[in-house]
Amino acid sequence: MSARVLVAMSGGVDSSVAAALLCEAGYDVVGVAMRLAPEPPPGIARRRGTCCSHDDFEDARRVAERMDFPFYVVDLREDFSARVIRNFVNEYLDGRTPNPCVMCNREIKFDRLWSRARALGADFVATGHYARIERGAEMRYRLLRAADGSKDQSYFLFTLGQAELARTLFPLGAMTKAEVRVRAREIGLANADKPESQEICFVADGDYARFVEREAPRGRIRPGHVVDSGGQVLAGHAGVHRFTVGQRRGLGIAAGEPLYVREIRPANGEVVVARREDLRCAGLVASRVNLVNPELCRAGAVDVEVKIRYRHPALPATLAMDGRGRAEIRFRSPAPTVTPGQACVFYRGDEVVGGGFIDRAIEG
Amino acid sequence: MTIYLDHNAGAPLRPEVRAAIERFLRDEGANPSSVHRGGQRARRELENARARVARLIGAEPRQMIFTGGGTESNNLAIFGATKAQAARRKIVSSAIEHSSVLAPLSELESQGFQVIRVAPDRDGRIAPERVIAALDRDTALVTLSMANAEVGTLQELAPIGLAAREAGAVFHVDAAQAVGRVRVDVSELGCGLMTLSGHKVGAPAGSGALYVREPAALAPIILGGPHEAGLRAGTQNLLGALAFGAAAEAVEHAFESETARVAARSERMLSRLTDAIPGLRLNGPREGRIANTLNLTFPGVLGESLLIALDLEGVEVSMGSACAAGAVEPSHVLLAMGRSAGEARSSLRLSLGWNTTAEDVERASEIIVRVWRRVAESEPAPRGESVEAIR
Repeated sequence: MSARVLVAMSGGVDSSVAAALLCEAGYDVVGVAMRLAPEPPPGIARRRGTCCSHDDFEDARRVAERMDFPFYVVDLREDFSARVIRNFVNEYLDGRTPNPCVMCNREIKFDRLWSRARALGADFVATGHYARIERGAEMRYRLLRAADGSKDQSYFLFTLGQAELARTLFPLGAMTKAEVRVRAREIGLANADKPESQEICFVADGDYARFVEREAPRGRIRPGHVVDSGGQVLAGHAGVHRFTVGQRRGLGIAAGEPLYVREIRPANGEVVVARREDLRCAGLVASRVNLVNPELCRAGAVDVEVKIRYRHPALPATLAMDGRGRAEIRFRSPAPTVTPGQACVFYRGDEVVGGGFIDRAIEG
Repeated sequence: MTIYLDHNAGAPLRPEVRAAIERFLRDEGANPSSVHRGGQRARRELENARARVARLIGAEPRQMIFTGGGTESNNLAIFGATKAQAARRKIVSSAIEHSSVLAPLSELESQGFQVIRVAPDRDGRIAPERVIAALDRDTALVTLSMANAEVGTLQELAPIGLAAREAGAVFHVDAAQAVGRVRVDVSELGCGLMTLSGHKVGAPAGSGALYVREPAALAPIILGGPHEAGLRAGTQNLLGALAFGAAAEAVEHAFESETARVAARSERMLSRLTDAIPGLRLNGPREGRIANTLNLTFPGVLGESLLIALDLEGVEVSMGSACAAGAVEPSHVLLAMGRSAGEARSSLRLSLGWNTTAEDVERASEIIVRVWRRVAESEPAPRGESVEAIR
């Protein structure tokens, strides 16, 4: 009997090719598309290209028909709302900028879906992520960047532990996007040239601020002030959830020089703005840290490269764990803004050492 | 080999039906309305089939209208009867009807009709007196299913038939799930309209019929020809009708032995599952239900997960409720019967039928117990719902 693998399929080209490759490799493939996002309220149209639409499920179904493996749509809307959307809204209300894709991977794809996989008798969960898993000495698994650096998605996967890595497959890790598209055409997948989804899948119209306002408990949305570093009020605003640290546009102020959000203070509703050079920081503190490879961090401070956003080059830094799941990062040279709420991921070369969620910047 | 336990969704073709279809494919097809002799032969075949289907429910052949299936029959009954009784603006039904009844009722409601949906008891029974109490001189239609599709509960309809007649309302019975499982006799029920579905009795989908006691009670909703007594325009689906006729004859022929056999196997399955799964509960009454139907609440698991896991092990069952694009909404029938959303989500429908063997029952029971344990262990359903055991 070949190993059974549950493949999370979005209907997009990546997960479709991933499923097809596993099929060809002789795995007992079971395809699932997850229904995650609740229906948008009446009057809000779902944008094309966001996932979870009926068309996407049908694309995934066609792949399954073509490759002749069973396919099911599973309803995980309640879990997604409880574990991802609620966190997204709370983070914004707390003046932070969440990354729901990281939370979805942590809470849904590699937790909730894994329970489902076991229930279905599967040995592995597979996705179309661009990242690699390598089994090292003594059964230790290493999470590595994808071969295609421009597509690398290891940033979104730092929450995986050894137990998850042992039963996860990333069939696209060694491929480039161009190769994946070629394979998609060879296999005859109808979605070979489908554009990639970019938006947050559950914010149907892309207006996340309005989404937060709809979902927030009554009274949690409070107007406040945009102030400068000296506390001088520059403008009013409709709520801290409309801002993100590092943001420049939409501040509602006309100043002589460009100003950026430096800090958000949810307790009193203040959004502090400053000149660009005042945003630079010496380091950061991250919490809820997961160490994919704990061995590497045993010996006090270690040299790593840190990604503070998905589309941001890794910065040389030192990492020190405080023993309570918090990490302190010191950049080799001052870094541009770090945004609380975003994930920061630690690398050594191609290997993901671990990562966490940014709590605050350390000023230089 | 897969084990098919989803007869309420659609029964596999009976061998007699296959033979009828093969015969049809050998003959030249003709339009039963044509004047030529080919047309006459087709007409004779169609009328033979009509007689067979009529016999199944104790009706006259001329009272049977062939339709495109149970859903169309329900639509024709509801829209056609209210159209024919235009002065009356009230409809009495129940909360546990099939969506092909509920959706037309909502449509009429939006057009200004008053719709009463009587709630069932915990076993899915509709109290006849509650239906009767709702009848008045403004009631155009009473529409109820004889056997519920999801839980199999059989309704006591004869008193309702009498009362409807007194009130001058048309009584429509959806017997799609009852035919072939219990004796159905239109004169005993006193109904004016009755829905039948071909593929619930082993004919292909796309063949159905509507019993019409008096044509005056019904106005057509599909126009365009004199076919089917002017109540359903369009050249008849001769293949579907022949297949339905063959299935009806087979059901009639084997009725006693088949229903006894299915009941015994269903009972055996229930007892095996009850013994091995603590807290398993049957939804629907122990007696007074179509015996082939086992709607079960499986403690500690999500029905969706158990259903997929069983499919991967070759046992085909169903959630029993509509599942649109993967959005699993808890069954409206189970909710109406007082189950919680959690209990409804933990429920599956197993429905046996003419081709379920004793070996199927043993093997399926074994697989279900094994898979239930695995699913309950790996993916426990959200807690907070109490599930009582079968008494």
